[in-house]
Parts: sequence; structure tokens; C-alpha cells
Amino acid sequence: MLEAKNITVNYGPRAAVAGVSLAPRPGEVIAIIGPNGAGKSTFLRALNGALPVSHGEVLLDGNPLSSFARRAIARRIAVVAQESDLRFPVTVMEFVLGGRHAWTTTWGWETERDVEVARAVLRETELEDFAARFMNELSGGERQRAVLARALATEASVFLLDEPTANLDLAHQATMLRLVRARCDDGSVAAVVVTHDVNLAAEFADRVLLMKKGRAIASGPPSEVLTPELLRKVFDLEVLVDAHPISGAPRITPVHERP
Amino acid sequence: MSYARPTVERGRATLRRTALVCGVLLLLLSVVLIVASVIGSQRLPLAASLCALTGKSNCGLSSEQQAILFDIRLPRILLAGAVGMCLAAAGAGYQALLRNPLAEPYLLGVSNGAAVGTMTALVFFGAHEWSRPVMAFAGALAATLVVYRLARGRAGATPERLILAGVIVTTFLSSAIVFITTLMDATRIRSFTFWLLGDLSGTTTSLLTVALVAAAIGVIILALNARSLNLMMLGERDAFDLGVEVSRVRVTVFVAASLLVGASVASSGSVGYVGLVVPHLVRLSFGSDNRLVIIASALAGAAFVIVADTIARSIIAPRELPVGAITALIGAPLFIYLLRRG
Repeated sequence: MLEAKNITVNYGPRAAVAGVSLAPRPGEVIAIIGPNGAGKSTFLRALNGALPVSHGEVLLDGNPLSSFARRAIARRIAVVAQESDLRFPVTVMEFVLGGRHAWTTTWGWETERDVEVARAVLRETELEDFAARFMNELSGGERQRAVLARALATEASVFLLDEPTANLDLAHQATMLRLVRARCDDGSVAAVVVTHDVNLAAEFADRVLLMKKGRAIASGPPSEVLTPELLRKVFDLEVLVDAHPISGAPRITPVHERP
Repeated sequence: MSYARPTVERGRATLRRTALVCGVLLLLLSVVLIVASVIGSQRLPLAASLCALTGKSNCGLSSEQQAILFDIRLPRILLAGAVGMCLAAAGAGYQALLRNPLAEPYLLGVSNGAAVGTMTALVFFGAHEWSRPVMAFAGALAATLVVYRLARGRAGATPERLILAGVIVTTFLSSAIVFITTLMDATRIRSFTFWLLGDLSGTTTSLLTVALVAAAIGVIILALNARSLNLMMLGERDAFDLGVEVSRVRVTVFVAASLLVGASVASSGSVGYVGLVVPHLVRLSFGSDNRLVIIASALAGAAFVIVADTIARSIIAPRELPVGAITALIGAPLFIYLLRRG
């Protein structure tokens, strides 16, 4: 699978990510938490080769990422990022079929299988009624589901999600992560999710990686990592951590000082 | 922009649908070609001309009519078709690559770069006809490079920066062209100004051959990259993540488009609006899948310029208007209409 070994990513003269390691296991959801500028997104982009690594290495199935062709990487690692550029009218079906690009030949047309996969992921993300609609007719939540559907259509074994719930309302936030969780629970898929929502991470992640200023501060199950001490260290903020009354997951509540 | 509303299932581009659409457009192109060959300052008989065009002899055309049809009209019509094909396909390619529906060869400075190249060839290598398309291609490529370098900021070359850089380069080159023109004598100025506005009257066999070959090569290269362009249209990062070799595709499309624009400008000057309006109309009618849009734009562009040139050479016959003036007169209102629909 995917493994980042002590990687450093430079952004000009400074190191945006310094010596961070991560090895997602099949069926696992890992959340990356940290303040703005911690290097979370940079780290994620290095995991699929979008950003070059200056020290350390990223291994895919035991081999260096650089030894793989773009298409080969795209078949194994899928990315769910913020909304795409939608200046041209594209239907949901066409959009999701884009996920099959790495599987089809140069000027190939989509095969029956490609269309089947697309339909299946549209069903999974509850978008099958939207297949013929244009992407820019959808709401923000529906569009994000389409982006997830496209990533699912790649049939990759590792999913990298960069703040997939930003700009989504409460209901859609839960839906997104539930879909990711379900996929991971199903089979041999792993997901690495960068998110600002600490509680969502606590609820859905098997492991949490805390980052600050490019470095890994802590890594482990939510109950071990999402503690008031560690969160204060990373966010410079007092928090109260108790157990969610229903799920039992850590529940983080910031404590605001009243003037 | 609001586009065609889906009926039952919005047809996505399949091989069958693409072949059907392109088949119909090819038919339309053939009809346009035949009609254009009989229209002109001298009307030719339709049935006899049709017979002659299919290669038969003894069709009833006088030798003078034969000469008009085969030595004057047909080469010019074929060139018009090649130019339309080149510009429309290049426009479609730029719009997808740069994620901007306004991208087209003139706005990006590529047309003017090719024009400067052609003018340089005329001034310094006038005796060698082949130097025109070669220098035009070089000029187009140089302009593309300058525009791309100018547009590259921290966040990469965003579509907005590209258009801005393109406008700067194109206006600069326009002034350069005007400057060079003023250094010429009066008679050359007039014919040059005419040429700059898009002039198909100076067709030679070699220029026609270059245009046709360039059109074929350029369109094929763009069509081969159509799938990648579909993804790049949605953002370079997305395309990269989905498996597209972004840098390679960008270079390939820029080079192919420069080839197309260079060949077109070298043979007929700056014919505007084709690269802007035709791909738009194609997308409006058939969707944004580049596997269909590139080829359909090439065919529709060819028909469009043949029609425009037919009007240009017959409306005030025996005098002629520059074809670029006609494409602008048709293209601009059409584009305003398209803008207002959105």
C-alpha cells in the first residue's frame, strides 16, 4: 500500500513538511488535524506525487512513487479535493466517468464496465437521479458527493481527502464521512482525511495524526491523541474533552475565555 | 452560460454519437463546398460543375469555366476550409487547455505572433515561399512561450493571467505590425492591410498543401489529446490526480495549436472569430466532450470560413472584401447573442 517514510517537502526555502511518516493500513481511516499552515494539505499532495519530496520517500506497494507512471498512480491513489473548475457544462455522469481515465486507453471510449462502475458509485453516493444533470446545477453538498463518486470510480485502494466537508452543512458533512467510512469498512481501501473538524475526526477516524508547523506532534487512536494537553500544544487553545454520550468517541469542546 | 437542456438522458459523447455528428457535419461541409464552387463573379452551372467535381470528363463546362472551377475557385475554397479547420480546432484546444471559453488564437497573441513571423519571412526571405509557414509557426510558438512565461505567477498560469498576458502581447505585436507596415510603400501597405484582415485571394499550391497538411496533423494531435483535455478543462490539479500527464499535454497542445495557427496565418492572414465562435456553437449543440468538440469544430469551422469567403468574394463582385471582415461581421453579433443566453 502507500507509505510515507520521514518525508520533507520544501516550499521555497522553508520546509512545509518536515520528517513526517504515515502508513495507512487497509480498512483504516486516518485523520490529519492541525492549525492552518501546519502542512497538512502539503503532506497530502506529496502522498500522490503532486508535490516533490526533498527528503525521505513515498513508497507505493513497496516501490518508490517516482518509479510509477502517472496513470499507474491514479489507479491506486484517488484524491478528493475542493470543488473543481466548472466553467464548462459537464453532466454528473461525464464528470464521474472522468475517474475512469486511468483505466481507458489514449483515445479510448468508455467501456460497458466503465459505465457500470460509474453507475454503481452514483448509486452509492445517492446521485443516480442526478446523472443527466449538469454539475453546476447541483448544490454544494451534491457536488462534493459527485467529487467523491469520481474518486470512488477510480477503484483506487487509497483515498486522499483534503477537507472534504468544508462548505458542507451538518447533514452533508456526516454523509460524506459515512460514505468514506463505509468504503473502508467494506474492503481493502484506506483513507487519509485532512480536516478542520476535530469532532468529525474523533467520530470517524481509526487513527489521528496531529501536525503543527510541518511536524508530526502525535499519532494514534483518537482517544490517545485528542487530549486537552496535546490539543493545547497544537492549537494554543484550552479544550474540554469528554466522551460523546451516544458513540463514546472523544468530544472536543473549546473553552473560550470570557473577557 | 445556460446550455441545451437535457431531454430524457443527456447524451454523453459515445463513439456512435460522435461518428453520427461528424458524419452530418461532413455532409454539410460537402454541400457547402459544392455550392461555393458555383457561386462567384461568374455563376457556374450546378449540374455540370457537380459532374466535373466528381472527376468525370465531358460534363458540359467550357474550358474557361473549367479553369475557373479548378484553377481558381477550388484551391481557394479548399484553403478556406483548411483555414477554418485550423482556427476552429486550435480555438477549441486553447479553450479546453486554458479553461477559458474566451481563449482563441487572436486574443492569446498567437495570431499576431504568426503574422509577425510571416511578415519577417516576406521581408527577409521573400523568394522562398516555404519560409512563410515556417516563420509563422515559429512566431506563433514564440508568442505562446512569451504569453505563458508572462502569465506564470505563484499559483501557476491561471486562465485569467493567461488572457491578460495574451491581450498584452497581442496589442504589443499589433503595434509592431503597424510599425513594419508603415515602413512599406503605399501599394504594399494596401495589399498588406488587406492580408492582415484575412485574405484568401493569394492562394498558391504550396501554401494550400501546407495548410491542408498542417490542418490534418494538428487536428489529429489535438483529437488524440481530447480525453486528457476533458480532464484538464476541470482543473490541472484534478487532471493530474486522475492520471493526466499535465505538462506533456500542455506542451503538445500548445505546439499543435501553434502549427495550426501558423499555417492558417501564413496562407491567409488573421481571420478572427472563427476560433471563438465555432467551438462555442459546437459545445452548445453537442456538449463539452472534446473527443467530439475538436473534430466537430474542425468540420464546422471549415464550413463557416468557406461560407464567409464565398460572401467575401461575391457580394461586391468583381471587387472583394477581406474574409476576416465577414467572419467578424457574422461572428461578433453571434457571440453577443451567445453571451446573452448565459
